[in-house]
Amino acid sequence: MASKVVLRGIQEVKPILSVNKTESRRRALNLYRAWYRQLPYIVTNFHIPLTTTQCKSRLRSQFNKNKDLKDLRVIDMLVIKGQMELMETVNNWKQRNHVMQLFDDFSAASKSKDFLSKFYEGHEQ
Amino acid sequence: MAAKNVLKTTTGLTRLAVNPFAHENLKTFYDKTLRTLAKMPADAAYRQNTESIIKNRLALVEKEPNIEKLEQQINDGLIEEVVLQAKRELKLSRQILECRAWEPLIAEAPKNQWKWPI
Amino acid sequence: MASRLCRLIRPAVAGLARCSQMPRRATAALQHVRFDSTTAGESLKPTIKNVAQTVEIAQLEKFGHYVAENLPKFVQEVRISAGDELDILVHPEGIFPTISFLKNHHTGQFLNIIDITTMDVPTRKYRFEMIYMLMSLHFNSRIKVRSYTDELTPVDSITSEFHGANWMEREVWDMFGVFFANHPDLRRILTDYGFEGHPFRKDFPLSGYVEVRYDDEERRVVVEPLELAQEFRKFEYSSPWETFPKFRLTEGDPETPAPKEPEAKS
Repeated sequence: MASKVVLRGIQEVKPILSVNKTESRRRALNLYRAWYRQLPYIVTNFHIPLTTTQCKSRLRSQFNKNKDLKDLRVIDMLVIKGQMELMETVNNWKQRNHVMQLFDDFSAASKSKDFLSKFYEGHEQ
Repeated sequence: MAAKNVLKTTTGLTRLAVNPFAHENLKTFYDKTLRTLAKMPADAAYRQNTESIIKNRLALVEKEPNIEKLEQQINDGLIEEVVLQAKRELKLSRQILECRAWEPLIAEAPKNQWKWPI
Repeated sequence: MASRLCRLIRPAVAGLARCSQMPRRATAALQHVRFDSTTAGESLKPTIKNVAQTVEIAQLEKFGHYVAENLPKFVQEVRISAGDELDILVHPEGIFPTISFLKNHHTGQFLNIIDITTMDVPTRKYRFEMIYMLMSLHFNSRIKVRSYTDELTPVDSITSEFHGANWMEREVWDMFGVFFANHPDLRRILTDYGFEGHPFRKDFPLSGYVEVRYDDEERRVVVEPLELAQEFRKFEYSSPWETFPKFRLTEGDPETPAPKEPEAKS
């Protein structure tokens, strides 16, 4: 395991955007800020049935999911995708259902239900 | 110079206008390209190949004032197209100079990278 | 079959061509023969590919050598594949210079970009093989530039040379997740907003990750993680690619020492 890490350490790779840790951290924080500032507008534009505060905590949890990432290029790639997502949202290219995907929580809501409760709801199988 | 081309009104190709200053343009482009090439090492294959092509054409351009005869001698389409080619070659020579393409290979491909039926 | 005929050509040793007058005469000759070879062959069976004549293949080889000689820094290998198609295999750093050379050099004039695509071979060190197809109307000729990259290595965009490459690169980004540096407008082009993953990767499941349905209560389309019913859980593990004979090496392919070409056509 250790030898692998060393190998990766000396391996030369082409950076995507950031060349060091500070830069990639700055990019991630900038993205977070951009989303944070847009959230009130997103909530009104798309009629999100949540308060802005709830959305903000949701945003924070989404960013926290990736807090353990170390590889600069992986972080850069995620930041780029997040940036694209933000652009799609802010420019209203997305429709309401696309935006709601960001705020739907599947783990708690529907997926833990057992066979009978699904049956009562009308979903077969 | 322009008076000679009065009869030619169109090149017959869409979006390619008649160029009344073909000789001047060609000479400028070829000179600039040669100057860029001179900055490369003398044994760079790109420099040798391009210099031979360009010197060849430059000699023709300087020798022949008549456009039609020049087109026949260069034998590479209309003179307007030749001008475009010269323009592109100039751009390319600058790019090659910048990326230093005459140097030895950067790195070989990893083993089996190009082996297709895996 | 074509892969068996495929010949590998090493780039010419630079010194060899340089000290003689060869390259110069080769280019002059090249132009003329490539001009002459523009007659459209009549074929009674249009669905069967006409492999070019030996003369044309020799011309292609010569041109391949010429490219390799001019760009020794980037060209790794030059290859004739599928009988009569010229492949220039370059280092990823050299994609832009090579394509620019082919487009802008006097003896190339490959002014049209036909397509950009990628091939995913997960077993390789660099899993994505980038393929650029160019066409030269001037010399009635086609060429392929191949390179390689992986999920995290950015590739230089060629949109500054070919504006038509814009959407093609977006497609490759969307389908494979290859990032193009210096692209003016890199965003999704085929998948839906909010779509996750890159569908043309070999590790993308055939069923996808999510299912989409209209929800009556919510009055909107909802996306849920995929839930497969029991009867759809019978997976077939044999790869659909096995039916294509060129996918894996078989006996008689160039890598295994085969004394003669096995009887191919009957």
